[in-house]
Order: sequence, then structure tokens, then C-alpha cells
Amino acid sequence: MAMQDTAPRPRVLLTKSFIDSHDRAIATIALALRDAAMEVVLIDYEQPEDVVAVALQEDVDVIGISFMSGGQVETTQKIVAELARREVADLPLVVGGIIRPFDVPPLEAAGVREIFRGGAPMADVVATFERLSRTYRGLA
Amino acid sequence: MTTGQAEAADSPYAKWQRAVAARYADRNFAARNRSGVELDPVYGGLDRHGAPAEMPGQYPYTRGIYPIHYQYQPWMDLQIIGYGLPAQTRERMDLLLEQGGSKGYFDREAYNFIFDMPTSMGYDPDYPGVRGSIGDCGISVCKASDYEILLDGKDLERTTVSMVLNAGSPGMLALYLAAAKRRGFAFDKLGGNVTNYIWDFFGHSGGTNFSPRGSYRLIADIAAYCARHVPLWNTLTISEHNICEAGASNVQAVAYSIAAIIAVNEECVKLGIDLDTVVPRFGFHVRYGENFFEEIAKTRALRRVYAKVNRERFGCTKSGALQARIHAQTAGSLLTAQQPLNNLVRNAYGALAAVLSGVNGMTINAYDEALGLPTEEAVTLSLRTSQIIAEETGAVHVSDPMGGSFYVEELTDEIERRVFAIIAEIDERGGLIACIESGWIKQQVSAAAYQWRQEIESGARTMVGVNKYATDEPENYAVFQPDPEAARLAIADVERHRAQRDNARCAAALDDLRRAGAEVNAGRAVGSVMAMLVAAADADATLGEMQTVLHDVFGRNK
Repeated sequence: MAMQDTAPRPRVLLTKSFIDSHDRAIATIALALRDAAMEVVLIDYEQPEDVVAVALQEDVDVIGISFMSGGQVETTQKIVAELARREVADLPLVVGGIIRPFDVPPLEAAGVREIFRGGAPMADVVATFERLSRTYRGLA
Repeated sequence: MTTGQAEAADSPYAKWQRAVAARYADRNFAARNRSGVELDPVYGGLDRHGAPAEMPGQYPYTRGIYPIHYQYQPWMDLQIIGYGLPAQTRERMDLLLEQGGSKGYFDREAYNFIFDMPTSMGYDPDYPGVRGSIGDCGISVCKASDYEILLDGKDLERTTVSMVLNAGSPGMLALYLAAAKRRGFAFDKLGGNVTNYIWDFFGHSGGTNFSPRGSYRLIADIAAYCARHVPLWNTLTISEHNICEAGASNVQAVAYSIAAIIAVNEECVKLGIDLDTVVPRFGFHVRYGENFFEEIAKTRALRRVYAKVNRERFGCTKSGALQARIHAQTAGSLLTAQQPLNNLVRNAYGALAAVLSGVNGMTINAYDEALGLPTEEAVTLSLRTSQIIAEETGAVHVSDPMGGSFYVEELTDEIERRVFAIIAEIDERGGLIACIESGWIKQQVSAAAYQWRQEIESGARTMVGVNKYATDEPENYAVFQPDPEAARLAIADVERHRAQRDNARCAAALDDLRRAGAEVNAGRAVGSVMAMLVAAADADATLGEMQTVLHDVFGRNK
């Protein structure tokens, strides 16, 4: 029998713009991560900087941002800049939703760890959050 | 001549024949198929219980709201249109018109505008934090003069304008009406639609919406104003589509749609509004997705339940208040980024289900919408899909062709039973607004969405090209790229607008709006908020400025 893993469970912030009402995917991912015994904080943000403030308050290990209708690159770049300003540049960022080919190079340049589009297997999403959390906590 | 028609003068078939003769005089709607067989515009007979079957155009309208439908008036093709600045959208409008699209009823032009998310939620382009979304996925509009560009040279009496948006709906209608007024058009000649999705707390308006009670009060205000001043305007679209897209099942979505109608009607009754004056301008937006026969049955059930609720529960008597007008849209959430051409096929089946259901309007999504905003080629293919169904397949010759099918009739009855059971549960929980406030509704929808996703994950539900028949072919499809300059131009434009207008006049109009809001909140002067919105828009107030006042007065969700 495997030794019981007593490491803390991942703490995740999932977020979406207050004006982007298409929240089916992120609500579904929140339930999937909870079913995988992660602690999930799900918020709408007004300013990209708010995302970082909440991430720090809630002491999360991964941030997941969902986009449906615009702001993919600009918002992500602002969050990355704020992470650097608050000296948590290594806090991993995952982006999902409608990510167009022309969004990908700037998102990768910004340091986004993973991009998930519609149809991505939920098991991959869960495994990615798990892995990024453990790495961030220095557990892997 | 159809065999098996009841002969009695008071039979549904005989009544239908008289209705057709009275309404269409001696026009002949029979078609002939390739083999030369003459086709009646609708077939009747005995239903599964041995009684003469209901006919189209007869209460409770299971088989359709008109005695003769596509044989006389085809569905209206309303491709969603809108991106960037008004001038850019206008270019796309002109292209669609050239391609034979944008056809409204009775030779009108018709446009189905979608707005970018800031506009949709009622924010101006210079609101902090919205910049990345300006002109992306819709048009940026925030002032009456934007409509002068969008609709330059159009005869608004011959143009049907449909506006698809959320919390920004009340202000958006005001911008359009103010622009029409400036161009000298009389309000009672203007036809169109504002979706007014402020009723939607199922996943589409979120924290930018008004408080649930404030939203339903505003819906009543707009309905009362339009009934008096803009009588041809459709003031509310209950979107079964949006509820489905948020993850609900068909039965849930129909039930919640009817529950929303009940909540609106109750609000109107409370405010002393005669339902027969406002309900005929309410309509539905229905999703056509993955369950071909269920889509048809749910449409038939929706029409029937709507008619029964409005007549039996609310005492509506006007036929227009009992007839569910339906705008169909194919399912966006079924569009896949993987093997995107498969979406053309999905959309065609969805559209066919809608046509066999007897809908009034149609939006067929573009096959590339899971990749980004549609390309011109993809938009054209959507229009061609509708044209092929309308003009090649013969599906339009006979109304309610599924009527009498053991399967579809039983499914229709079963959906009706389940819908009434959910409505009873919502009543027991204190009504829809109480269910929204408690979070129960949202929880129901999220649970259904999660269950659907788990079925995909486990393979119990197939999505071709996603969890079955997947390939790793390179995906090098063209994706439409919105203008990255749109944000800068829109912000500069609204700043210039604020600098050039009469700011004292604008501020006074916004004060009037605030006072009207307080009155309407107190249950008095219903209709005056919309009147003051139009006055404010005419005084060059922006969408976001009007929205700030409305949020103050009617509260914010959450």
C-alpha cells in the first residue's frame, strides 16, 4: 500500500472577466477540480490586477483564467506584469477558452504555462493544475 | 385531398380550412414534389387517442402559430453580425445584403446586431478594465450617433433591427430610438427587437446585471413604454438558447424560460399593466442542438405550455399573447475547435430541426466560431445552409411534418409534463426570483453542465472529432482577426463625444432619469424610465452613463 500523501492539496484561483458572461466552462472546471479534492476560489474580476490581489490573499498555487469574448492577450499580459510587480512572477498561470492562433505567441511569450481550448480532456486539465501546484510548492 | 380528415364543421380540420380561406383568400399553397405528388400544406387526421388532431394556428399552438407558415412566409434569416467599430460592421452588413442575406419579413431588411462584451453589459469603451474586449466579438456602440453610421441611409421603417445584448439592453434601445428620432422617423413605424437579457440569471448576465427584482421591474417598464409608443417593437426575448448553452437540459431550459415569463407577467400584473398589451411583444430564442427529435418535441411543448400558462394562469385573451414566436439558433457550445468543418454538418442538422419545428427566425452559427470570430466565408456558408434547406430540400412544403409521429407526439407530451413539474417546484420555492436569489437555479444549471461534461469525458456521449474519431491533423484554418486599433479609436471617439456635447443638458437628462427610476422603483409612472432613457440618449448621454444611473436605482446583482 502506498504511503499516504500528506502534502497540502492544491489551492487554485479560477477567474473570468466581469463582462464576459460565458462561464459554463470555468464553472465546470471548478467542479472538476473540487472533485479532485482541490480548494477552488472562483471569482469575476474587474481589473486584471485584482486577480493577483485575490491570488495572494487566498494563497493559491495556480491561477486559471477563462476567455470567451476578448481580452485574451491584453488581460494576461497585465496579470503577468502585476505578478512580477508583486514579486510572485513564478506563480503559474493557465489560460483556457477561445484562444485563437494569433493569441498564442504573445501568451507564450508572457509565460503562460498551459493553454486549454474547448474539447480538452478534463483529466488533462486536472493533472496540469495538480502538477503546477506541486512544482510551485516545491513538492515535485 | 387528405384522407381521414374529420368531416364535422367544428372539427379542427374544418376550422383550419375556414381560417386559411379567410386569411389567404383563394391562394393555393399546395406544392408538387419531384414525382408529381401534390402536397397539402399540412396534414391532419386522428391523434394517438383517436380524437381529431389539433391543426396549426389553433390553441394551444403545438403544431405552429400560423395556419399556413413557410408556404406563405419563410423564416427570417438573421445571421449575427457585428465587430469592431460601427463603420466596420457596416461593411459586413453590405456584404451580407449583396449575398442575399439580411432579408426580413415583407421585403424589409433585417439585421441582428451583436455587441462587444463591454457594450453588451452597458459599459463605455473607456471604462477601466474593458479595453482588451473592445470591438472583439461584437460592435462597440455607446452613443446615439453610432447608429447614424451603422444605419446610414437606411429607411428605418423598412429595416428591422435586432439587438442582442445583456444588461446594456435598456440603454441600447434608447440609443437606437434617439437616433431614429433625430432622423425624423415616427416611433410607431419602427420594427425590431431588443433581447433585453436582463431577465437571465442562468449564466448570461452575471454580476453586471441589475438585482433580480430590479431587472424584472425594468422589463415591465420597457414593455409598458413600448406598448404605448413603439408598438411594433419586441421588448423581450426569453432565451431558452442561453439557458441550454449555460448547460441546462432541454426540459430545464423550457421550464426556466416559462418561469421567466411567469415572473415578468406577475411583475406586470402587480404594476397594473394589461398583459394583453405587452405579452404579444415577448418572444423566444431557442437552441437547436444535439438531440434532433427532442429539439422538435421541445419546440412543440414550449408553444403549448406558453399558450396554456398565458391563457389559463394569466387570463390573456389576445391570440398574440398566446402564440410563442421563436427565433432559432444552432448550438454554439457544440461547435468544436477540433475538425471544425464538422460544425457545418452539426449546424445543418440543428437548422433542419428548427425548420421542422416551425420557427420564425433563424441564426445558423458559423462553423469556425470555436476558433474565433467567424470569417466571411464561414458566415456565407451559414446563410447558404439556410437557403439550401429553404429552397432545395422541400422541407418547407408541409407544416409540422412530425405531427402525428408516435415518437414525437409522446416526447412532446412528456416534455410538457416535466416542464409543468419544474414550474410547480419553482412555485413552491417562492417563484423564479426567489430561486435566483437563493442560488438554486444556478446550482441546477451548473450541475447539468457538469454532468454533460462528465459524459463526454467518460465517452458515454460522443463528440465526433473530440472524444471519438479524433485525428491529429494540423489545424491551419483561417481565423478572423479583429482590428487591434478598434479599442484606441473607440476610446478616442467617446472622449471627443464627451468634449463636444452640451454637458449641462446631458447631466439634466441623467437627473431626470434618476428621478424616473425612483418613481418606477416605487411602483409609479411605469414606462417613465424608458422615456427618460430616450431623452438622455437624445441629450448625448452615453450607454455607460445611463447604466450607472440604472445600477444605482435598480441595484446590482450579487
